[in-house]
Amino acid sequence: MSIFTRNRSVPIFIGILALFALLVTVMSEAYGTGAISVSFTKVLGMTLCLCLAALAMDLVWGYCGILSLGHFAFFGLGGYGIGMWLMTARTEAVVRANLANQVIPPTEAEVSEATALQIFSVVGGEDWPWMWAASGSLFLSLLLIVVVPGLLALVFGWLAFRSRVTGVYLSILTQAMTLALSLYLFQNDTGLRGNNGLSGLQNIPGAESIGQDRISIWFFWASALALGLTYIGAAWLVSGKFGNIVRGIRDDEQRVRFLGYKVEAYKLFVFTLTGVLCGVAGALYYPQAGIINPDEIAPIASIYLAVWVAIGGRGRLYGAVIGAAVVSLLSTYFTGGRAPDVNLGFMTIEWVDWWPVLLGLGFVLVTLFAPKGLGGLVDYIVRKDRT
Amino acid sequence: MSSLLEVQGISVTFDGFRAINNLSFEIGLPELRAIIGPNGAGKTTFMDIVTGKTRPDEGTVKWGDLSHSLLSKSEAQIAQIGIGRKFQRPTVFEDQSVWDNLRVALKKPRGPMAAIFDRVTDNDRARIAEIADEIGLTERLEDPASILSHGQKQWLEIGMLLAQDPKLLLVDEPAAGMTTEEREHTTALLKRLAQSHAVVVVEHDMEFVRRLDCRVTVLHEGSVLAEGSLDHVMADERVIEVYLGR
Repeated sequence: MSIFTRNRSVPIFIGILALFALLVTVMSEAYGTGAISVSFTKVLGMTLCLCLAALAMDLVWGYCGILSLGHFAFFGLGGYGIGMWLMTARTEAVVRANLANQVIPPTEAEVSEATALQIFSVVGGEDWPWMWAASGSLFLSLLLIVVVPGLLALVFGWLAFRSRVTGVYLSILTQAMTLALSLYLFQNDTGLRGNNGLSGLQNIPGAESIGQDRISIWFFWASALALGLTYIGAAWLVSGKFGNIVRGIRDDEQRVRFLGYKVEAYKLFVFTLTGVLCGVAGALYYPQAGIINPDEIAPIASIYLAVWVAIGGRGRLYGAVIGAAVVSLLSTYFTGGRAPDVNLGFMTIEWVDWWPVLLGLGFVLVTLFAPKGLGGLVDYIVRKDRT
Repeated sequence: MSSLLEVQGISVTFDGFRAINNLSFEIGLPELRAIIGPNGAGKTTFMDIVTGKTRPDEGTVKWGDLSHSLLSKSEAQIAQIGIGRKFQRPTVFEDQSVWDNLRVALKKPRGPMAAIFDRVTDNDRARIAEIADEIGLTERLEDPASILSHGQKQWLEIGMLLAQDPKLLLVDEPAAGMTTEEREHTTALLKRLAQSHAVVVVEHDMEFVRRLDCRVTVLHEGSVLAEGSLDHVMADERVIEVYLGR
């Protein structure tokens, strides 16, 4: 494929990703030495999903100039989409096992009723809400993961771009969107279990006999594959005329209009495409996280997404991946209780509390000293190469 | 000579300021026309209205043999039917190469899908090479537009205009920042284009307008003050008053 030669970052990125996947596999508990624990394998797999979301963020912001601060809403919707299926199938299996000892075998209706009660009693419900209609079918659930975030992005984007809402006003609107969705999901009667969210998502139906050690590495592979394919696709998309137009929209929207391009159609395309990509990333992320609740799509999550891309460097694809990987892994290190506290005598720095400060400081430093982000440092290496 | 663009009695007001006041204007195909006028005469606003950026409060803007109204069309639609615009301040895509700038402007289907699957044909390559030769940027095709000189950016934007292949070209101060030689080249190019296109040139530089040797429209306070050959309008009492003051 010509994209491997046209964009030099593609073979390098795919090479590094494959090497990383191989390394993690041979160090995993299931297939290797066991140097990497199951829980850390999950952290790495989840990090790859966040990198995928950051890649989408770079397409919409770094290339098209739309600073969306709501793309994590699509990520969350993807998670809820797969979560409904996982939870239904798993709970149904448990219910069937419990009812199996009865003298009279339970009817399908009884199983369904008992499953619903099991899932929804925590929010005082006992019937299946309408939005769980597809939860019995894996195929329909996979469809939902693409369709629901895509449809929300399409409708929201159509309304916003048609009215020519741009810049900071659009950012505020996207924040409002993700906040509204989060608050809606916090309600107990919305059908998605309110603030309890969906849990037990690490249990894959039909794979009860397979241990988490193997499942974790399978999801890690799936996440790496999704990231790799998306990287190739994104690099291909922005390498052609479409990329030229989209970057033109970022730099001078009006000029592109006077060339005869319908700017709104291009923005809507990129916004919707990246919404779907975030949905897919979320659907891969939450089975590894095991739980999703409305707090995941609070406005701050989408802001973090933008911060990763800014720290990694906009408009270069690998920058977004570097930013997301570095910042989210550091965040796991500092907030996961791994980092030792620092005793200064008059006070103790506990990293759980001080991590946001460190992140803010890092953001300021990158903005001041590496305005093109961490990915921009690659430019220096490449330039040295040539001289 | 049939009429290509027909503007009838348009007016537009910004916050109580009448930028265009009952202005009428007509241009045929082919024709070369210069628009002159002091600052604030409404030259740029006039172009904004024709290209769909600004909507007039009243009046009509009709296009082509079928006299389609342009007023309900978007900027992109107006550009697609054949009105190209070169801005006063050169606006090119700075971080993209000269070649990419020309490719984006090239007359081809404008939808997102068409752009995604666009392939550079031999025809496209030949056309870009031809335009690059015309605007003297053949050696610079691989360079990013940001490192071009002011004059070269002007040329690139004229090249993008050529690539769009419009019927009507609205050219705002094409000679600004150009050397005498480049000006002569620009004049020759505009004159040649005007043999098969309608070309409207807005210019401050009287020497440049004189070299164009075409019909001149003088704008003042948003309406047409005089129209005719340069010598004719410069002999007009009111034009002298506006330009020299009394």
